[in-house]
Amino acid sequence: MSLKREGKLTSSTDHLRDTQAARPPRTSNWLAFVSFAAVIAAQAYAILTSPADADMGHLQKIMYVHVPAAWMTFLSFFVVLVFSVRYLWRRQENDDLIAASAAEVGATFNGLTLMLGMIWGRPAWGVWWVWDARLTSTLVLFLIFVGYLALRAFTEDAQQKAQWSAAVGAIGALNVPIVYMSVKWWRTLHQPPSSPETLDPAYTLGLRINAIAMLLVLIYFIRRRYEIARLERAVEHMAEAAAMGGG
Amino acid sequence: MDASNITFIIAAYTVTWIVLLGYLLRLVRKGGRARADYERMAQQRSGEKSQ
Amino acid sequence: MAWQDDWRRVRAIARKDVTTELRAKAGFNSVASLGVTILVLLGLALGPDAEALRNAAVGAVWLATLFSGVLAFNRSFQVELESGALEPLLLYPGPRWTIFAGKLLGNLIFLTLMVAIVVPAGVVLFGVQIPARWPSLLGVLALGVVGLVVLGTFYASMASRSRAREVLLPLLLFPMLVPVLLAATTASKALLGADVMHEAGAWIRLLVAYDLVFLTATFIAFEHVIEA
Repeated sequence: MSLKREGKLTSSTDHLRDTQAARPPRTSNWLAFVSFAAVIAAQAYAILTSPADADMGHLQKIMYVHVPAAWMTFLSFFVVLVFSVRYLWRRQENDDLIAASAAEVGATFNGLTLMLGMIWGRPAWGVWWVWDARLTSTLVLFLIFVGYLALRAFTEDAQQKAQWSAAVGAIGALNVPIVYMSVKWWRTLHQPPSSPETLDPAYTLGLRINAIAMLLVLIYFIRRRYEIARLERAVEHMAEAAAMGGG
Repeated sequence: MDASNITFIIAAYTVTWIVLLGYLLRLVRKGGRARADYERMAQQRSGEKSQ
Repeated sequence: MAWQDDWRRVRAIARKDVTTELRAKAGFNSVASLGVTILVLLGLALGPDAEALRNAAVGAVWLATLFSGVLAFNRSFQVELESGALEPLLLYPGPRWTIFAGKLLGNLIFLTLMVAIVVPAGVVLFGVQIPARWPSLLGVLALGVVGLVVLGTFYASMASRSRAREVLLPLLLFPMLVPVLLAATTASKALLGADVMHEAGAWIRLLVAYDLVFLTATFIAFEHVIEA
């Protein structure tokens, strides 16, 4: 629980009024069941129906989890960007909490993407890691996410946390295409790029179904994380109000 | 070749489920704690007001 | 004239920062010494093969600059924070961006002086042969340093006011600097060699674009960062 610095009492009471007016919503559990059931069904469908790939054999099946995880990573970071900019624009506390929730969930998917990429790379290329544009920029993206979350963890004041992380989120997102481009040039000027993820049309249906299922999980995770953040924030505001009223 | 590939496929799906369920567990725990804190605080507040 | 007042403010902040750092001497000397120490360690770790050292020279110089530069950025806000001078600075009349511009200019001067020590040290220690096109090498160096200073100053304005600033600043800054590191090292290597593929020009354009994009973005974002 953080203590507001003196001189910011007006803004903290404003926040207080907001959160007391809207009581944090109760967590909805149906989306959890639906999304996880969808992932199980989608994976079962994809594994059972996909034929062995001409080059890769059954290894291609890793793509059903790897590619959707990568898409969810980029989608989360896009959410962070949008809500960071929106926070700086409107200064609504909830926008900050959505951005933070998306960042945490995105970092999780980002880590998963990297691990799956390595598990794919070992049998497919014979090495765990290649300094390819896609892999390297995904790794850099992960590090930017980690920095964003560390900044939030190491900042006490709610307003500082919100404004700083919004700036870091927006500027970090701005950097992602530049990182991708620079790593791509760096590689292609010396060695031909490796592009293993060319997909047979037979796989696209399975891939799409898996992506939709993963999207449901992503939405559930971000919503749930956001509800928790709202609850925690409400507790902080109540503690501040108690300290002010009682002291 | 194919037999070892199966190992990697199993590893990939196992990792996926560990991460998904692990994060879900984290959310459930964190959510439970936050909810409990919230209820306790709300009760305290209403107690103070009625006095 | 309004812009002249702004410019005076920028200069005043920069001059104050540079003079306090240089007068204290401990600040500049220790940061520059650290840069050289990192170079020595890298030389020991990568050597003693002369050819291998020459190939690693550019990367080593850049890493030494990054690691020692990070310390300088945190210091630039620390002085105000410890003396409680940041709040009066914010209450001063005039636009907020001048504070950022002043800090930026101060750090730029500080880092230029540091690079003036680290780069010759790297040239000597790693046995680099200076090519005829050394002015363009200096250009690459300058563009890289600008990118480093822009983001370093911006992130330091937050990290220096948080807990665990020593870890937080490099953690935030280094991933952001990946394009600078790639562009500056690859362009420098190309210029040190024959640049057969004519790639240096493309990298220099990337550096210019990077500097402009983040100079604009950080000036816009600084208003939100400093008021919190």
